Amino acid sequence: MLRITGGKVYDPANGIDGQVKDLCIDDNGQFVESVPGGRTIDATGMIVFPGGVDVHTHVAGGAINFARAMTPEDHRRTQAFIRTKSRRSGLGGMAPTTFATGYLYAGMGWTTVNEAAVPVLSARHTHEELADIPIVDKASLTLMANNEIMLDQMEKGEFERAKQVVAWYLWAAKSYGIKAVNPGGVAAWKYGHDAKQLDSPIDGYNRLTPGDIVTQLARICDELGLPHPIHLHCNNLGAPGNISTTLDTLVRLEGHRAHIAHSQYHAYGGDGWDTMCSKTAELAEYFNTHPNLTTDAGAVLFGDTVTITADGPWQHLLHKLTGRKWGNLDVENETGCGIVPYTYRPSNLVNAVQWAAGLELLLLIRDPWQVFLSTDHPNGGCFWRYPEIIHLLMNADFRRECMLKLPSKVKGRITLPEVDREYTLYEVAISMSAGPARALGLRHKGNLGIGCDGDVVIYEENADVEQMFGHPRYVIKGGEVVLEDGDIRETPQGKEFLVRPQIDAGIDDFMRPLFEDCYTMQFENYPVEIERLEHPDIRECAPVSG
Amino acid sequence: MGGKVTCTLGEVKQRADFIVYWGGNPAECHPRHFTKYTIMQKSKFLPRGRKDRTMVLVDIRETKSAKAADIFLQVRPGKDFELITILRAMIKDQHVSDEQISATGLTRDAIDDLIRRMKAAKFGCFFFGMGLSMTRGKHMNSASLLMLAAEMNAFTKFVAMPMRGHGNVTGADVIMRWQTGYPFGISFNRGYPRYNPGEFSTVDVLVRGDCDAAFIIGADPGATMPQPAIDHLARIPTIVLDPHITHTSRLARVHITTAPQGIAAPGTAYRMDELPMPLKPALKSPYPSDEEVVRRINEAIAKKPFWLPDGRQSPNLWSTQVNQ
Repeated sequence: MLRITGGKVYDPANGIDGQVKDLCIDDNGQFVESVPGGRTIDATGMIVFPGGVDVHTHVAGGAINFARAMTPEDHRRTQAFIRTKSRRSGLGGMAPTTFATGYLYAGMGWTTVNEAAVPVLSARHTHEELADIPIVDKASLTLMANNEIMLDQMEKGEFERAKQVVAWYLWAAKSYGIKAVNPGGVAAWKYGHDAKQLDSPIDGYNRLTPGDIVTQLARICDELGLPHPIHLHCNNLGAPGNISTTLDTLVRLEGHRAHIAHSQYHAYGGDGWDTMCSKTAELAEYFNTHPNLTTDAGAVLFGDTVTITADGPWQHLLHKLTGRKWGNLDVENETGCGIVPYTYRPSNLVNAVQWAAGLELLLLIRDPWQVFLSTDHPNGGCFWRYPEIIHLLMNADFRRECMLKLPSKVKGRITLPEVDREYTLYEVAISMSAGPARALGLRHKGNLGIGCDGDVVIYEENADVEQMFGHPRYVIKGGEVVLEDGDIRETPQGKEFLVRPQIDAGIDDFMRPLFEDCYTMQFENYPVEIERLEHPDIRECAPVSG
Repeated sequence: MGGKVTCTLGEVKQRADFIVYWGGNPAECHPRHFTKYTIMQKSKFLPRGRKDRTMVLVDIRETKSAKAADIFLQVRPGKDFELITILRAMIKDQHVSDEQISATGLTRDAIDDLIRRMKAAKFGCFFFGMGLSMTRGKHMNSASLLMLAAEMNAFTKFVAMPMRGHGNVTGADVIMRWQTGYPFGISFNRGYPRYNPGEFSTVDVLVRGDCDAAFIIGADPGATMPQPAIDHLARIPTIVLDPHITHTSRLARVHITTAPQGIAAPGTAYRMDELPMPLKPALKSPYPSDEEVVRRINEAIAKKPFWLPDGRQSPNLWSTQVNQ
């Protein structure tokens, strides 16, 4: 039992904006009206937020583990986590190790994370890694938009069949939702090609286009009633002029819910690297008139990182552009994966545009319930740098100061200099917690209301925003004080969220021969056993009508 | 240099019309490789199976695998790195002299033919074995072949994969990476993981006599390591978990017999393409699994007083990261 008294509470899910209010958490780790006893934290003069929720991050599984293998030079110079009685050792940096990932997230007040890209074939591995990330609760999304068994059904016009295939895969992966990466493009990459536009032909298919895949997958997510809608990484990522592709994609999502991942990488104008500019104003305007959509920023911060994505063809291009190391892993029937270390430099015009574009989206999309804090960790920067972004959002003068370091050619290519908006604490709380929790369909997260999970972060008020958000005074996870005075005290094991959609009885017999044709493991061994998940928490599906 | 361009074995089964085994003898060392993954399978994209695929073997001697190959290229021992470097140059139409080519033991015609076929392939794959990675040049050989595969993507789809063996060595790699950031050769003696193959690898630690105890699971270093390393294992308390009596268990102070993984003990093994495979035991064993033994040892250790004094909790947990 725990009582938090006297703090200024920011709880956007319940419209509470800085009122002084007491919170009580019972022995089940949920908020209640009152508790008969237990510890009391005196939060007088402090700021109380719901625990952070990361809607899009890459912290576990084959891809990030490939990135770890490829960057020993970063591990060597980065911060080391020395083992203590309650903590295991590890390393921070561009691709932190699993235990360190839990400590770093909890250390800045984040208590729920969504691993956004899991091939079903290696889902067993991903769940094992997630089990080794302490403290935070976790969800994971299954990569579907290039699954050839599903694409074949779509090509044949068998929508219901495709829906059942998706449901079967979701349960096989024990995952929470559907991720679509470069629909059709990654399938084409299997023979070294791509599919950049919504009407591009896809290698190996006659009728099917990326646009069809986008629309049908969005409809499938709605009809299966997944708590989180289609989580879409659009085609043509990173390329100058890709705003037209992105807007074309959004049009095809009319009438459906959708979450657009890391929009920053999809909001460029120009027709080459020399002429590249930010088109975030156009993209933001679309979001401002379409409440069916949410997005996360995929903001970029200057410095070293490692880019990892299922978008294999893009990573080959990035390798050719930079000459840096290149990792590629194509996954049979399902998806691809590419890894390239990258350094964002303020002196680089393209990087300067990207840096501005991420912030512009967060500032130009008016409703904070539609756009969330993310760096697409580790692609745009590491998650442990979120406090730097919060600082940039809350202080227009600081932004202007940072803009002085950009090349002068950036003038006219970005909108940021004209944006005066500054985030309030209430808006920060939406962007880092209440908003992403609502988009994920996790109603008991990012919410300090009665019956919700007792995940709280308490900050000492400080004019230095980065210091304040980077170093909370207390972090409480499920009613347990996990961080106090800058030190991780407890490392409980979090839950893993997943869904169990309606699956037709006959789908196993339908899948088996198709599966045996293209896979190299036994059909029976493919689905992840539920016993392999630590603390699984199955969330309900509730079909939404278009 | 760096990185790896690869795929899962199902991709090879489905698409690879051009397969090169380099410094490996799958016919004898990975006997199911041909039939399950590489040359014998039919697929949507390669409906005629073996007839739709070309296989090349590069090795210093004509092993049994040569019978399965369409083309056998006998490279002079110790000249793999040179041959790969020549290929990297010649795919880009750079000049290579006749002497440089003949030093590898191959002819210019043979290399031209190989390059023509590589570029004409729709999906090419190099599999490389210890004949490449453990001979003169070692990791430099592997790195150059990985680079060749990456560079071939300027012309067509190409990937590369090491032919790994020895039980679940890939699984150990994968897990060490997520827990420590590094695959092997890790030292925890400062309280956090550090990596330096050649210094912290098991064989180096043993040869130098740096460790005062050894705990060995799923390996038999007593059969494969150099004598000074074996001597040190015999000198110190060595504990072995193994279903069998091995060279190492004979010199160990303690041998705990465990149930064999995949036969009498469940678990997960990672295949050479890093896919996790669940192991379902077919038999029952009176012996505990490795996992159970380790868990019980861990529980017993947890009951002892913590070995670090309280004052030595992490001194600098939230230090600023260095970003260059």
